Amino acid sequence: MILSGTFTFEGPRARVWEILQDPDVLAKALPGTKTLTRVGDDRYQGVMKVSVGPVNAAEFAIDVELKDKVEPEAFAMQIEGKGSVGFTKGAATIALQEQPGPVTVMTYTSDVQIGGRIAAVGQRLLESVGKMMAKQALEALNKELKARLNP
Amino acid sequence: MSASVAISVTVNGVHYEKTVEPRILLSDFIRQDLGLTGTHVGCEHGVCGACTILFDGEAVRSCIMLAVQADGHDLRTVEGLAGPAGELNPLQNAFRQAHGLQCGFCTPGFLMTLTAFLRDNPAPTDAELREALSSNLCRCTGYHHIVEAAQVASRSTVP
Amino acid sequence: MPADPPYLRARVPRNEDARLLTGRALFVDDVQLPGMLHVAFVRSEHAHGRVTRVDAAAARARPGVRAVFTAADLGAYLKPGPILVPPPPIPNLVFNPCTQLPLATGKVRHAGEPIAMVVADSRYIAEDAIRDVVVDIDPIEAVVDLEKALAPGAPLIHEHLGSNVAAHVLQRKGDYAAAKKNADLIVRRRFHYDRGVSAPIENRAVAVDWNAKSEEMTIWDTTQAPIPIRNGLAAMLGLLQSQVNVIAPFVGGGFGPKIMMFYPEEVLLPWAAMRLNRPLKWTEDRQENFYATTQERGQVHDAEMALTRDGRILGVHDVFLFDTGAYDPYGLTIPINSQCTLLGPYDIPSYESEFTAVFTNKTIVTPVRGAGRQHGVFVSERLLDLSARELAIDRVEIRRRNLLAPDRFPVNHEIMFQDSAPLVYDSGDYLPALDQAAAIIGYDTFVREEQPKLRAAGRRVGIGVVCYVEGTGIGPYEGARVTVEPSGKVRCATGVGTQGQGHFTVFAQLVADVLGVDVEDVRVVTGDTREFHWGTGTFASRGAVVAGSACHAAATAVREKVVALASSVLNVPRERLELEGGRVFDRDARDRGISLGELSGKANPLRGAVRPGTEPGLEATAYFGPDRGSTASGVHAMIVEVDPETAMVEIKRYLVVHDCGTIINPMIVEGQIHGGVAQGIGNAFYEQLVYDDQGQLLNASFMDYLIPTATDVPPIETAHRETPSPYNPVGLKGVGEAGCIPTGALFAQAVEDALAGTGVEITEIPLSPNRLFELIEAARK
Repeated sequence: MILSGTFTFEGPRARVWEILQDPDVLAKALPGTKTLTRVGDDRYQGVMKVSVGPVNAAEFAIDVELKDKVEPEAFAMQIEGKGSVGFTKGAATIALQEQPGPVTVMTYTSDVQIGGRIAAVGQRLLESVGKMMAKQALEALNKELKARLNP
Repeated sequence: MSASVAISVTVNGVHYEKTVEPRILLSDFIRQDLGLTGTHVGCEHGVCGACTILFDGEAVRSCIMLAVQADGHDLRTVEGLAGPAGELNPLQNAFRQAHGLQCGFCTPGFLMTLTAFLRDNPAPTDAELREALSSNLCRCTGYHHIVEAAQVASRSTVP
Repeated sequence: MPADPPYLRARVPRNEDARLLTGRALFVDDVQLPGMLHVAFVRSEHAHGRVTRVDAAAARARPGVRAVFTAADLGAYLKPGPILVPPPPIPNLVFNPCTQLPLATGKVRHAGEPIAMVVADSRYIAEDAIRDVVVDIDPIEAVVDLEKALAPGAPLIHEHLGSNVAAHVLQRKGDYAAAKKNADLIVRRRFHYDRGVSAPIENRAVAVDWNAKSEEMTIWDTTQAPIPIRNGLAAMLGLLQSQVNVIAPFVGGGFGPKIMMFYPEEVLLPWAAMRLNRPLKWTEDRQENFYATTQERGQVHDAEMALTRDGRILGVHDVFLFDTGAYDPYGLTIPINSQCTLLGPYDIPSYESEFTAVFTNKTIVTPVRGAGRQHGVFVSERLLDLSARELAIDRVEIRRRNLLAPDRFPVNHEIMFQDSAPLVYDSGDYLPALDQAAAIIGYDTFVREEQPKLRAAGRRVGIGVVCYVEGTGIGPYEGARVTVEPSGKVRCATGVGTQGQGHFTVFAQLVADVLGVDVEDVRVVTGDTREFHWGTGTFASRGAVVAGSACHAAATAVREKVVALASSVLNVPRERLELEGGRVFDRDARDRGISLGELSGKANPLRGAVRPGTEPGLEATAYFGPDRGSTASGVHAMIVEVDPETAMVEIKRYLVVHDCGTIINPMIVEGQIHGGVAQGIGNAFYEQLVYDDQGQLLNASFMDYLIPTATDVPPIETAHRETPSPYNPVGLKGVGEAGCIPTGALFAQAVEDALAGTGVEITEIPLSPNRLFELIEAARK
């Protein structure tokens, strides 16, 4: 499944970069995240609960590794998830570009493979659920960014 | 795990008092707890219609309902269609005469769907019948003889 | 058989219907025994990988879980399944047998492969416990595409082979190279034919009761082959065959995959029952069925046809790939069927057909209704259609010019058929069938008058006519035992199973005609090894032909005993005796007779002696084993309209003209054809298994795998023709698969005709509105 798009954060790039590296912020922003902890340099692990169509509140143990970091403009992510209803494996690249405002335009491309039961019955919905989750997460992150800029 | 719930159901005119776990499907309750195995399970996700029963007179898919939802309600299954000595009712007889069943696994679902549909639509066209029957899947008959059987049954003067 | 048998060709309502209509019929999941435990399976989520860890500790600790078995627990019982159909003796044939283990260890080769078996107090708890089992798999790149599977460097599914080749077979007759040289036209195309699941409404189920006191095992199984299952399991478990009883009660649709044998579940439940000393039951759920029950998958053909300019076929050359899935227990039945059925009803002097069977990381492939015949018909019918267009010959006319004439029978095609005998057509008369189909569908009028008018009004309507031949009724044999009981009722037991084909009625009709009794007084028992334990099973359109003929033979033997005994009891010469209305009597003095029931009492004396060389009672067992199958045939025709905006196809008319030899019960024959056509329509237009490139099945449910409903299948017109088979006394041929064999080819022809002028050429099945839309758009550019 390819998930890609752009999103404009209302703030400077350096602050956006900060937020994207903060597991506590990410845990709150990413829908369904129960826990997310930094376990090493650029390595996070946690538990997420995902609902896709008829598969409800399925728990996934996730493992995220950040690579190819070029602060503050770009980085890549390796994601692996494993749960009782399926598994997921994927990679994403993220680029940040600051523009007058200042605002930061984020461009993301991800290719995620999904398998197991959740893929077999949720297939039609995976893309829309993925997009929705990404949208919710990014909007939540943007809200956090604005809160930090105007405390 | 949730505690068991006491439910009271009437099925084919017989009253039952049973205790069930909340997560038990109505189809499993009918088949296992009540021993009425005429209702069949084909998909467990509400598409094939083999599990169709009448719930307070309405045709419903029992595989996507919970047993606890039947508490206090009146159900009818395929076992309740024939007469007291096992005489086939006009719908069942029409199926037999028209060869509207082959392996018979989907048949109870079709009978219950048609029992409700023909009661509410006594003189359907072939198109209306096929539309109503599109809720039930059959892999054996190609539906041709099922539609014929339903037409014969709809014209039967015996209620 | 009497001169005018009352039940032959009679529309007799079925004996078995009352039970099925009132919910009193036993299906395997209905079996409930005291103390029964329930089984569920942990299955691989990955299509290809190495199993590094299976940890069942948490599952075993769950309350209500009685046992969890993994491959490590099976010990010596962990053996690969048998090859069910050894390949026929074709010269230079290559076959690499690789069969499935009951529980995977080391490697998994398709999504859904079973890894552990959970036994619990209820199915609910068993399914909870599945999630407790920790399975770690290191994924390996999956092999899904047939050509990529053969490319150098492709991941190997069975490493010891050094490639993903499961088999290679070349069959030829005549001299294609010469034919090609002499041809005025060569038409060449690549064809894709994909299939799907059989999807009977009843999923598979196995229930087992091991009685440790009587040391007898009873197995209820949704199998199409109870006898081989009994024999195989007895051997595996170290029991006598007679200690194992296999019962296929009412079975909710078979269509092929229920004759795959020694499925992991069939093999494991009896073994576990002996260890746990409790009855066990496993019922597949629908999603499991998409992974755990066999299916029929794809083929890719590169085929060419050489013709003269007046449309006569000189030869066909076909090279194809066949997807056998992760293992190949069923041998080469399907692709050999494809090779043979391509010849169709046509006179094809030279033929070269070569296939490579390829392993892929998908569910095992075994025959599904049609069993590879669809593919052969698709190739030859499409090549004929395309040739007709190039040569400006009408599509029906080009077929007429190539049909085998009736004086050619029996026709020996020289290549090998799936039953290891040379492909021989026993009888047939193809031209009148084609003409009759064209007449009934109104082909000439449609093409000349109606279609041009409709097209001028912007309507995209099309017509299709396709022909096919189907080898049916193959051996090795079946048997039956017929018994007249003192009540006068007759019992007929045979070993095949029944999954809706009406055996309880059709066999009763044959027996009733021979013995002169009422069809409702003949009680037929099928699929129970306690009743009859010699035979094979229901497959390849052979039930009525082979088991029916055995029932007929056994009834005939009983009739001879009746006549012999009645002659001495009534003191009437044998030639004057008649059987009618349940009595045997002197035809010149009808009240000088005796009921069959009373006669059976006399045949089983309480005093006196049974003379040497005779047997007590009126009972006989007989077997029927044809040397070769009998050839059924038919023509399908269809008128369709394609919506230019949505690419939805509406079937305006669907007609089947077919020849299945002598017909026992026309209603049942029609039912088989209707059902086959419905499956054909599904296969051609609605059904497709969608796998991603890592072998993940993306539509494992009826929400996304579309089975045709009553609004998708039109009323189906049928016309019967009879050219009796010379290979059995009643002249029977099979009809179980006839409805679904040419449907894909028919769809392609009719839809292409509807879209004439758009440049759309259809060389693939399934179509689907989506795919058709894509083809239309692509042709526009």
